[in-house]
Amino acid sequence: MMKNQLTVTIFVLFATLLTSLHVSSTEPLSGAELINNNCARCHNSRPIQEFSMSEWKVIMPHMREKAHLTGAEVQAILEFMEIATTPAQAMNVKEVVNLAADPKEVLTRYGCQGCHQVQGAGGTLGPSLDNVISEKGRAFFLRKVKEPQFNNSSSAMPQMPITDDELEALAEFLSSK
Amino acid sequence: MRMKKTLRLATILSAGLMISQPLYAAESSERFVFVGYGDVKYESADVAGTDAFSARFVPIFLFSLNDKMHVEAELEVGLNADGETETELEYADIHYFLNDNTTITAGKFLLPFGQFSANWHPSWINRSIWTPGIYGAHGSSQAMDPMLPILSDVGVAAQQVYQVGSAKVFLDVFMTNGPRSEAEHDEEEVDDDHDIALARLFSPAASIDLDADEDEHGEAFPEVEFEATSSDNNSNKAFGGRIAVALLPSIEIGTSYYQGAYDENGQLDIKANGVDINLISTHAILRGEYIRTETDAFVERDHEDVIDSFSRNGWFLQGTFFIGHVFDGLGSTEIVIEHAQTKKVEEAERWMVGVNYWLDPRSVIKVGYEDTDVVDGPDDKRFAVQFSYGF
Ligand code: HEC
Ligand code: HEC
Repeated sequence: MMKNQLTVTIFVLFATLLTSLHVSSTEPLSGAELINNNCARCHNSRPIQEFSMSEWKVIMPHMREKAHLTGAEVQAILEFMEIATTPAQAMNVKEVVNLAADPKEVLTRYGCQGCHQVQGAGGTLGPSLDNVISEKGRAFFLRKVKEPQFNNSSSAMPQMPITDDELEALAEFLSSK
Repeated sequence: MRMKKTLRLATILSAGLMISQPLYAAESSERFVFVGYGDVKYESADVAGTDAFSARFVPIFLFSLNDKMHVEAELEVGLNADGETETELEYADIHYFLNDNTTITAGKFLLPFGQFSANWHPSWINRSIWTPGIYGAHGSSQAMDPMLPILSDVGVAAQQVYQVGSAKVFLDVFMTNGPRSEAEHDEEEVDDDHDIALARLFSPAASIDLDADEDEHGEAFPEVEFEATSSDNNSNKAFGGRIAVALLPSIEIGTSYYQGAYDENGQLDIKANGVDINLISTHAILRGEYIRTETDAFVERDHEDVIDSFSRNGWFLQGTFFIGHVFDGLGSTEIVIEHAQTKKVEEAERWMVGVNYWLDPRSVIKVGYEDTDVVDGPDDKRFAVQFSYGF
């Protein structure tokens, strides 16, 4: 019994100690990066298009507890999922559609670097994109982004509503290096 | 017993109600989701002389009451060897998101001890067809004696997440009704033994003979039952928790503790310590756990009953290699190799090799072979093919 109480006390002390260690990260959270870091830890990362946004909103609290995510992280993931599943036209971002020529903006908008390295920066859930066009060809690249599961049935890459203009700009950018 | 049946009925009923929910609510509902997993297995086991198909269906009901409250329940529906349908409540709990990094859980939940029971056991997640040798059979008989069963119990838990530099620290603590001694209510369990998860512990006092006949269990072995109940046989609650450090996306290392009294007087404890690792790279996953248990039992010494404790330990390590990443033509094929050992009482050792082919990120065909070497007992070899899907 004494031992019981001692152990409980140690647990509580430890918990309090950890609370005081809390260091909040100041970097803005990228939803794609959070998916890269968390969603393949236990199981294959599930493609975003598998569920509707209203389903994800109920599934994410379930994963919040399993994956030990914070509320802010869940929010960032849901925001990325929203972007990744909503066609650009449907969003209030007309300029983006017109100015799709900026490949850096396209990379950011769809969170490509959350899961891929581009010029040394980015996630590692997927391979680096630096040499993909020179190694596998432009046609492969275009098809892969439009239909991520075409060559790999268990790919975790989400199918995103990327426009042809955006895709062309990206292909141009990635083959120019 | 009665309580349990009532609880089960209530869950099935409420689950039914929940399923019917989206029928009227349809798309407008952002509150309910019906997910889960299932599998079909063909297994041929050497020792048991069995050769059979089996199937399971595991529905999960998720309910978001509001931003702060989330309800979840999982049922497991399977067929036993006699062709009867068995339904088990795996968990039914409510999470309350207290603040950005604290979650309180109440109800019946999977204990955060190690990672296998809470995170890796669903068949579309587990890379092996079988549970690791140190765990309970979870639906099929197996030759190795579990260190601890899958731990799911009724109580409360709290979870905290901390960001410490580039690392994350996960803290989980729980308090539950805890285990009870198997002998106390033997008669009640005759028709219900399928869902008793047992941690069998050997008491050397009765005899030095390690081969004590299995049939006498209850006498030779103090058996501790971990099946969750809505009552507690003693006033002591079981408690424990887990602390883990994660360097995402590639490393998570955790250590767990469990302690609970299992006899009526609260004198006999079972304690367990665990260490778990999970290493993820683009070409492989390496997972493992080590568990050590200490179980008190009355031992006769100089014609007097004294409390002594007996320890066991065991571990498993599972490596999954994505060979499809190396050889283009193989697509999403992977190779799995697992080794498990239990030491001291009930010594055994197991090798498992398997090949998995993923049809999509949540559906897999697994082919596996398992070879168990039991020191004091019959060895076991089995082969199985399993199709498993998450939905
Ligand atoms: C710590 C382990 C773990 C992590 C990390 C994790 N999951 Fe899960 N996930 C599970 C388990 C376990 C299940 C099976 C559900 C169950 O048994 O309760 C699951 C199930 C799912 C399902 C199926 C629907 C459901 O709720 O059962 C989806 C979709 C899912 N996870 C998405 C994700 C996403 C997205 C992430 C990243 C934010 C993630 N998971 C991270 C453990 C994890
Ligand atoms: C949520 C994570 C995620 C995001 C976001 C993501 N991808 Fe991927 N991608 C992957 C994964 C994982 C793979 C590797 C598996 C496969 O082959 O499908 C991959 C593979 C690829 C490949 C094939 C690489 C090769 O060498 O075979 C290309 C090209 C690609 N992604 C481009 C993109 C582009 C462009 C974007 C942004 C518009 C993007 N990805 C966003 C996860 C992601």
